[in-house]
Amino acid sequence: MSELLQYVITGVTVGMVYSLIALSFVLIWKSSGVANLALGQMVLVFSWFTYGMLVQAGLPLWLGLGLVVLFSLGMGWLIERAALRPLIGQPILSLIAVTLGLAFFIEGLVSFIWPRSVAALPRIFPEDVIHIGTAVVSQEYLWAAGISLMLFAVLSFYFKYSRMGIAMRATADDQLAVQACGVPVTRIFSRSWMFAAVLAAVGGVLMASIGGITHGLVETGLKSFSVVILGGLNSFLGAILAGPIIGLAENVGGGYLTPLTWPGVKEVIPFIIIVIVMFVKPYGLFGEERIERI
Amino acid sequence: MGSTGKLKKLSLVLASLLILVTPLLVSGCGQAEASLKVGLSIPFTGPAAEKGRPMGDGVLDCIKYINEEMGGIEGIPIEAVWRDTQYDSARAANFVNEFMDKGCLFFTTCASKEMAASMEIANRNDFPGFTVFSSPVCIHPPEHIYAQMPDYGDSWAAFAKYYMENIWEGAGKPRMALHLLNNPTGSGASDAARALADELGIEIVATEEHAATTLSEIESLSRIKAANPDVLFISSTPQPTSIILKNARELGITPGVTVGCGHASFTQALIDLSGNAAEGVYGVFPTVNWGDDVEAMEKMTEYCLEYHPDDYGNMDYITCWAEGLVIAEILRLAVEHVGVDNIDQLTPQIVEEYGFKGLDNFDPGGLHGPVSYSAGDNRLAKAVRVFQVNGGEMVPQTGWVNAPAILYEDFDWFGQ
Amino acid sequence: MDLPAGIRNFTYAQDMAIFRTRWQWVMLVVFILALFSAPLLLNNYWLGIANLIGISVIAATGLNILIGYCGQLSLGHAGFIAVGAYAYAIMVSRFEWPFLAAMVFAGVVAGLTGLLFGIPSVRVKGFYLAISTIAAHFIIIWVINQWSSLTGGYNGIGVPAANLFGVSFAGQKNQFYLIFVITVIVIFMAKNIARTRLGRAFVAVRDNDLAAEVMGINLFRYKLLAFFIGCFLAGIAGSLMANWIGYLNAENFTLNESILYIGMIIIGGLGTTIGPILGVVFIRLLQEGVNSISPLVEGWIPALPSGFTAGLGPMVFGLVIVLFLILEPRGLAHRWNLFKASYRLWPFSY
Repeated sequence: MSELLQYVITGVTVGMVYSLIALSFVLIWKSSGVANLALGQMVLVFSWFTYGMLVQAGLPLWLGLGLVVLFSLGMGWLIERAALRPLIGQPILSLIAVTLGLAFFIEGLVSFIWPRSVAALPRIFPEDVIHIGTAVVSQEYLWAAGISLMLFAVLSFYFKYSRMGIAMRATADDQLAVQACGVPVTRIFSRSWMFAAVLAAVGGVLMASIGGITHGLVETGLKSFSVVILGGLNSFLGAILAGPIIGLAENVGGGYLTPLTWPGVKEVIPFIIIVIVMFVKPYGLFGEERIERI
Repeated sequence: MGSTGKLKKLSLVLASLLILVTPLLVSGCGQAEASLKVGLSIPFTGPAAEKGRPMGDGVLDCIKYINEEMGGIEGIPIEAVWRDTQYDSARAANFVNEFMDKGCLFFTTCASKEMAASMEIANRNDFPGFTVFSSPVCIHPPEHIYAQMPDYGDSWAAFAKYYMENIWEGAGKPRMALHLLNNPTGSGASDAARALADELGIEIVATEEHAATTLSEIESLSRIKAANPDVLFISSTPQPTSIILKNARELGITPGVTVGCGHASFTQALIDLSGNAAEGVYGVFPTVNWGDDVEAMEKMTEYCLEYHPDDYGNMDYITCWAEGLVIAEILRLAVEHVGVDNIDQLTPQIVEEYGFKGLDNFDPGGLHGPVSYSAGDNRLAKAVRVFQVNGGEMVPQTGWVNAPAILYEDFDWFGQ
Repeated sequence: MDLPAGIRNFTYAQDMAIFRTRWQWVMLVVFILALFSAPLLLNNYWLGIANLIGISVIAATGLNILIGYCGQLSLGHAGFIAVGAYAYAIMVSRFEWPFLAAMVFAGVVAGLTGLLFGIPSVRVKGFYLAISTIAAHFIIIWVINQWSSLTGGYNGIGVPAANLFGVSFAGQKNQFYLIFVITVIVIFMAKNIARTRLGRAFVAVRDNDLAAEVMGINLFRYKLLAFFIGCFLAGIAGSLMANWIGYLNAENFTLNESILYIGMIIIGGLGTTIGPILGVVFIRLLQEGVNSISPLVEGWIPALPSGFTAGLGPMVFGLVIVLFLILEPRGLAHRWNLFKASYRLWPFSY
């Protein structure tokens, strides 16, 4: 029984890390309807940049992280301006393909600038482990969960109450109407990509401090797609709730299924969940079903 | 349209024929003087670039050293025909075709995946080759492919033997748990354990798998903890191993349970990533460390610092400098057999018969265990050293320990 | 299609013809002769590249039917190729089936797998479908790795050389003929799909599936059929690839391969028959070019950062995809059509 507590706690905390990356995806989808398939690679490049700042350049923590945020803002702006602006209004395959092309490009860029494939970040969070009953959880996960929740709260408020946030939601709903109202749509896209890049950077730093910087960050980005699908593509609440659900499914499901079935069952659980969601409730738990008319 | 139309169409036909003929022009290039050609498949770029680049640098620097300072093999230079496989199987397979076309005497690859992709074509054409990092499928059943270094199963076998002889003090069988990466690195260790555990007197009580992208293995380690093992062997790469070590410390499995790591993970990167959690952990590694006092250390350090100073400290550079020395020895034995004046008589088959199979206790500058060929066992070097992490440093505990040969082909579950 | 000036169509057969004028037939025959004489001229390495191009053309044609004609986004094509490759390998090595039977079986198995993972296409489209095909890819690879009694698990499985009517297809030369005969058949089949009722139904589904349903096109049937055909061709390509490499491992089939195929058909031109061919040739030759140039450049400019060769390939590929999407979204096939139109009209400019 004590294992169940351990599985649950590990699942929830790991899931919150997935949620953080998922928030970035949802932000871009909510504002511009673009699926950012380069998310994993963006997380990777920001983690490496953090490594570059903190380890290679040896800057102090606050300065290094500050530069990471600035870099991610710049990179988000650049991506939107150079690759997505020319494709406004194109069919969805083009948009997806351009993010795939970007993914390749960013991966190449990372290999170009940081040829190492594994690196460790300096300790950002304290190392001691916290005991909850018989279960243990490392502090890094709790910090990651806390930061995810905080960012979720900030984003929700922003989208609900601030002018720019409302404008973003309006743009996702109906671009033409928004343009007719005089809202600068391109500026909205730009802002949303910049914020999403910052979210990806934060997620990247947290994941890198837990597990080091490797190419695996890209695969964890893929797992956050399952969070996004489960939660609903345009719902922040969905992303925050679906993350722990996927984490629980992985750990509790994996924990009890593995001795019964195959040793590696845990890895494939998020993808099986995607397929099941597609069959049962394609728009996710909190997603909005688009109604199409001829 | 008339005549201009006909002229246009004629020029079109000529242009298309010219384009089709270009590959012919491309594929022909003249040769200079006599040289001994060796094909090298190296994953310089792509997903394995972090290992591939220092490996490529190591072997090419060594061949440069042999050509420039030692005068080649009895005065004949070694020509390294190297290609970047980008860790892609289709490329690696195709390069074997190219090596055979270009008249290479044999070929080498760096990774076991590259060799797995290349070995069918090589075996079908009796074209010998060896791979630096191997896995059991490459050399069992033994044909024309050899392994320079012991593989992941050998790591397990050597560690298990060391553990039984030096660490285990109880009566009866020790309980061992395995944590494996979900690829041949992990399955190599589990295959070896399946073949040898009973013979060595070890009981495998738990086997868990993980992915290279894992963030937390608390869940699988809880199950391992429940099985109450005495020793845990992790066969993986540095990053997931570091996660397992940290989680094991958090769960209280260590200190207490002895932990051993396979050679795929036991590098400085592991210690950097794991921090304190790596203290007291054992590991095996098949080569010496930088700065050890062995014969080839001086020249290797000199060339490394001069041509590729970024690679200093990288263990794969050492492994491939040794690869270069082994290449030279194979060629030397083959040239000795036909005579220096008859090198145009050299064929891949002669090189295999007298070069590969003639290897007998050759010492690659002390960089790794002695290289020999024995019938039925296509491993060239079979020894590893056991280390323990003490104070953030890898401290060697033994000299060269031979990993026992495992005849996988005798087991009907192998290759299933 | 655009015809040269002065050529008119008077019968339906003439209108539907692929090769309409005598000149086009002559060019076709010359091209086929030149293609099949390539093994006499090229060495083993370039023959290997050509074989790889042929195999990729088959797979890309399948993906083009799925995405270009029917509009169903599939990002898991490498997974379906893997299914075909493994099905072929298992049949040939464990059950010792003859080559043709194993190849067709591989295609059918891959097609059925594609059908299974394509079922969500009836409910969702666009990005949702893309994600479910990515999930399909990972599930397929996981099953291949775990079902070790059948597939050899992580160690992989060896593939004995194919044998047809006593001719062994172990060498690159023989494989060239085999692969390109199959490629020509596949391209002809794809062209025929495109110009008959099936192709028109696919295009209708792509352009507006609700309207197509209203017009009487059974969406369920046609979308699943597209998945089946696309993945059947992927299975055929997989079996040829299994024979070509000789040893299969799940690591050969990565998600990057899937993205590579998407890139190929986009660069080549979606929804055209010649698009996949142009795209595949372009991308494979680009890969070769990058491979051979970077050691040379590193030799000339030693001051380059050490990650140069590692990063160059993906960067170039990504850049090419993005540039094509921004500047020429209709791909090389469109450029080819413009070229044909311009030389037909020369010396007039329009």
